[in-house]
Amino acid sequence: MSDWGWVAFAYGVAYGSLGLYAASIVVRIRNNRRSIGDYE
Amino acid sequence: MKVRARSRRWPWVVMGLSLAVAFTLSMVSPADSVQGDLVRIMYVHVPAAWLAYTAFFVTFVGSLAYLLTKNLRWDRVAAASAEIGVYFTGLALALGMIWAKPTWGVWWTWDARLTLTFIMFFVYLGYLALRRTTDDPIARASRAAVLGVLGAIQIPIVHFSVVWWRTLHQPPSLIRPDGPAIQDPLMLTALIVGVVAFTIVYAALMVKRIELIHLEERRLAVERSIERPVAGEAVTVPQLGGAL
Repeated sequence: MSDWGWVAFAYGVAYGSLGLYAASIVVRIRNNRRSIGDYE
Repeated sequence: MKVRARSRRWPWVVMGLSLAVAFTLSMVSPADSVQGDLVRIMYVHVPAAWLAYTAFFVTFVGSLAYLLTKNLRWDRVAAASAEIGVYFTGLALALGMIWAKPTWGVWWTWDARLTLTFIMFFVYLGYLALRRTTDDPIARASRAAVLGVLGAIQIPIVHFSVVWWRTLHQPPSLIRPDGPAIQDPLMLTALIVGVVAFTIVYAALMVKRIELIHLEERRLAVERSIERPVAGEAVTVPQLGGAL
């Protein structure tokens, strides 16, 4: 793989995982809000 | 406990803008004379490692403050920071491996820095696991705070491992007694902006993660407040009147 290939791989991992982690927080916030709304 | 009607969105906007600026700078900065374009991986690897230290230091401060004040607010800060720290430590390890393969020829070597970072990653995974062993907020906070304080001993050991031992991993790039190792101003700017951008990302994630902890506590409190029939009450007495 070329140097740019490794760079693309690294940035894909960095930015992709950040996006996934942020999305997991959004989903967990939404689920908790929904649960609280269901109970109240 | 008060829950905001709407979730705050500004942390995601700030996070996105910071990452866009850091990404642009890391792509326009020149290639290194030795590493070539692979040096660009440093602009995400070094900030991730920096954030791992920062996040675990905040966990240490939150844990110590909890032990001194017994205020659960500090426990929330410690817990949120630990989870984000585990993420950034995992990211730093992964990016280091991606850089190591084309540079060193191997994905992994049991070098002092790598090994100690690997151990630190698992210690804080243990911290997160420890928090799941009980639902009692006081017991959970007290147990986690002890580990949060003790775990911080690793931070200086991991950082200075490249100075104290002969390692394959290069010495620190920015925080050195004789100044930053990078001479090119654009490369140095890309690295510093990367560190600042990731620090902003950390702050944004902290805001949202603490909001999530508040919601989880609220949900648990609501669930507990609902009266559920105990087994004895749930069993109905047979209605035999109609049959007789």
